[in-house]
Amino acid sequence: MKLTVFNGSPRGKKSNTTILLEHFLKGFMETDGNSYELVYVAINRDVGKLVEMFKDANNIILAFPLYTDCMPGIVKSFIDSLKSLRGKQNNPGIGFLVQSGFPETYHSRFVERYLEKLAKRLNCRYIGCIVKGGIEGIRVMPHFMTKKIFNSFYELGKAYGRSGKFDQMLLNKLAKPEHLSALTRLFYSFGKLIGLVNNYWDKQLKENNAFEKSFDKPYMR
Amino acid sequence: MKITILNGNSDADNIKFDNYLKKLSSLLESSNHTINILKLREIDIKHCIGCFGCWVRTPGQCIFKDDSHDICREVINSDFVLLAAPLVMGFPGAVLKIAMDKLIPLVLPYIEMVNNKECHHEKRYDKEYPSIGLLIEKEDDTDSEDIKIASDIFSRFAINFKSSLYFIKEIDVSVQEVADEINRI
Repeated sequence: MKLTVFNGSPRGKKSNTTILLEHFLKGFMETDGNSYELVYVAINRDVGKLVEMFKDANNIILAFPLYTDCMPGIVKSFIDSLKSLRGKQNNPGIGFLVQSGFPETYHSRFVERYLEKLAKRLNCRYIGCIVKGGIEGIRVMPHFMTKKIFNSFYELGKAYGRSGKFDQMLLNKLAKPEHLSALTRLFYSFGKLIGLVNNYWDKQLKENNAFEKSFDKPYMR
Repeated sequence: MKITILNGNSDADNIKFDNYLKKLSSLLESSNHTINILKLREIDIKHCIGCFGCWVRTPGQCIFKDDSHDICREVINSDFVLLAAPLVMGFPGAVLKIAMDKLIPLVLPYIEMVNNKECHHEKRYDKEYPSIGLLIEKEDDTDSEDIKIASDIFSRFAINFKSSLYFIKEIDVSVQEVADEINRI
């Protein structure tokens, strides 16, 4: 199976999307004869080349982080450039990966609907959409937690490499939590009070000597 | 009201769309609103690279010196913002989305529970954030499902933007109808 991967992270190579894809692709390559090519939408701005790659592909994964409740602007630029391929015969099968900073998967369910429709619009076979929340946190998460997430991506890639499909059970597992449980919500509210949850941001603000400016309102008239 | 219109029409040949906004703008001005149209395709907006500099380096401002500062300034000081763009591949074109990504300096990195059940970012400004309307132009293959998807996604955006989506309108309705809708806010 030959796979073409479009990494749509605006951060390019140094991104959480890259990390998740690495594990997915490691699993994908476990099947003999599989191969892939990977392109970074943010780095390769030759739109014509990206469209050619899309057209020539057999199987595609388009991966990106959730930006303001949808795909990042550069990914939309890429999608817009595929206009000429709309409805064509023999378009590739396409699957998606959407990861978000927000912990709940629910935030990404809306763009997921758009992506399924997009596949239809392009006359591409829709493989599905991997949705995972809480990913910005992997930078500070304990190892045992990231290990579990990464392993799921590996398993998902492995199953996809074998069958060309996303394993629904693994998708469901990754999608947890769809919404925060009452207990987690309580923890969040409590955590906010004692400044735990937002510590991640405060730490960075302090490192940049910007902590005093945290609440700046530069555009207020 | 002070109204900002973000014109996300990427196609300079699509005169129909620009003209619609011009007409809408004059109608609204005659109802004593102050209108500012930002033609996004003609201004310099560097796409958001997710560096979070606007949250942790220069809080409230993008670290890039581009025209997104003007967009943020206009938007946050408006009572109503009309997001306007023709649909491309079933969703408002990239020019508008690139601009919307650059609005995140207007909120804080901190998370709060909205309606006691969902994580969203906190407000940066202690004021009422502008109400939002969405104006689109359909493509040949646009169906009701596309409109519903766009409407739902923009409603979600509005929650994160501390606001709500007042309406979604297509430019095949009369300019007067859209103006009336805005006047009702």
